[in-house]
Amino acid sequence: MNAHEWYIENHTGYVARSLEQNELALFEEHLPRCENCRKAIQEIERDLSWLPMAVKPVAPRPGFTRQVTVSVLDHDVRPWWRRWVEPLALAAMIGLAIGLGVTSRRSGALSSKLAVATEQLDALSDTLGIMQKASRVLQASIKGDGYEGGMMIFADNASKRWKVIVHGLPTAPAGEAYHFWFICPDGVVKGAEVNVDPTHPAILTLTLPQDFGPVYGASLTMERLKDVGSTPHGRELANLTL
Amino acid sequence: MQAVSKQTRSTRGASRRFLSVEQENSLRDRLLARDERALVELIDLATPWLLGVTQSMLSDPHEAEEIVMEAFHIAWKKIEIAPDAEGGLMPWLLRVTRNRAIDRLRAHRRHIVKTKRAETYADYGERVTQPLEPNEAGQPGWHVHDRVQAAIGELPHEQQKAVHLAFFRGLTHSEIAEELGIPLGTVKTRLRLAFGRLRGALGSLKDWLV
Repeated sequence: MNAHEWYIENHTGYVARSLEQNELALFEEHLPRCENCRKAIQEIERDLSWLPMAVKPVAPRPGFTRQVTVSVLDHDVRPWWRRWVEPLALAAMIGLAIGLGVTSRRSGALSSKLAVATEQLDALSDTLGIMQKASRVLQASIKGDGYEGGMMIFADNASKRWKVIVHGLPTAPAGEAYHFWFICPDGVVKGAEVNVDPTHPAILTLTLPQDFGPVYGASLTMERLKDVGSTPHGRELANLTL
Repeated sequence: MQAVSKQTRSTRGASRRFLSVEQENSLRDRLLARDERALVELIDLATPWLLGVTQSMLSDPHEAEEIVMEAFHIAWKKIEIAPDAEGGLMPWLLRVTRNRAIDRLRAHRRHIVKTKRAETYADYGERVTQPLEPNEAGQPGWHVHDRVQAAIGELPHEQQKAVHLAFFRGLTHSEIAEELGIPLGTVKTRLRLAFGRLRGALGSLKDWLV
């Protein structure tokens, strides 16, 4: 049996989640690279999707469905980042709007400032929009000598844009730069250089690559400036899989 | 869609209310629109089945309820990623629930409990052929349950056991081999054959929630 036959033989085990931990890890590594296996697994998942209904239904105890309803509707399902990002952004927008109102009343000569502020407001709204509509939020921690930072991705499937935040990392050494890459079925696609400032998070808005199939994940690397090309060569600092 | 899915009633059959076809067909759309009544309907319709899944996998009924609650939180929060009618809202919810239950099982490393429970259900093949109580047959989705049970019932007994341990008890291949006292390769072969037959039998089922 060659390596690929092993994966084919274990498709149903993967779907049923009956593989061992090490086998599962192999699969997770293989799937982003193998469209045939991904398709086969999707088909098996679809065909077996009703199998859990072999079990008999269980009558919920009195009050349970109401408890679930109340819990779901009352619970603040917003993730932690929304709890501070949204109020902060809202406050910023209100402040900006009030400031703009006052400013515009004071002098029409400040119209250029108004235009700049409007752009900032639009940018802020756009940022907030991506974060609010993000269908996935991923994060990875990045640790090194004397620092502990991370990378967060807010993936908005509707607009096909990602908000990427890199924070807590030291400035890139001379002659090197942080680079963000998309992981696609046929390989890695260049995203953008990330200008890291140790005192503030770097925030990027990136449009997903269109011609390379679905994006499965992302990678942050440290590249030597003279080596930067269409594929990464440097040390990988973080890797996130959707 | 069969007639049985046009109505909703409690598992105990104590109360009954009807969903119009229009209401039923738009359940997913209304969830997408954040219609809280749609959430209540979903909870009413799906809870008995999700509790069935979690209670079959977890020994603690409180944990089983927790997982169901988590599944509805996920459904409400991420309804936009649920597949449409073709993929199925209910299958998605079942998958989310089952995956959460397996995560819980494995996080707690409850191998001993699982295998003990597996022994309890060693006569699964006989148990599933027990006659249904009349009130259960009125449960929305029961026709799907019937079809799935019939498909499992068509499998040879040893394949039924393997499917039961893998899919409904959350055991891994090696745990099944140990439990049944058979080689690992035999477990994999039985499961592959069984799931292949089940795919053929269940692949055409459609979502009854829509």
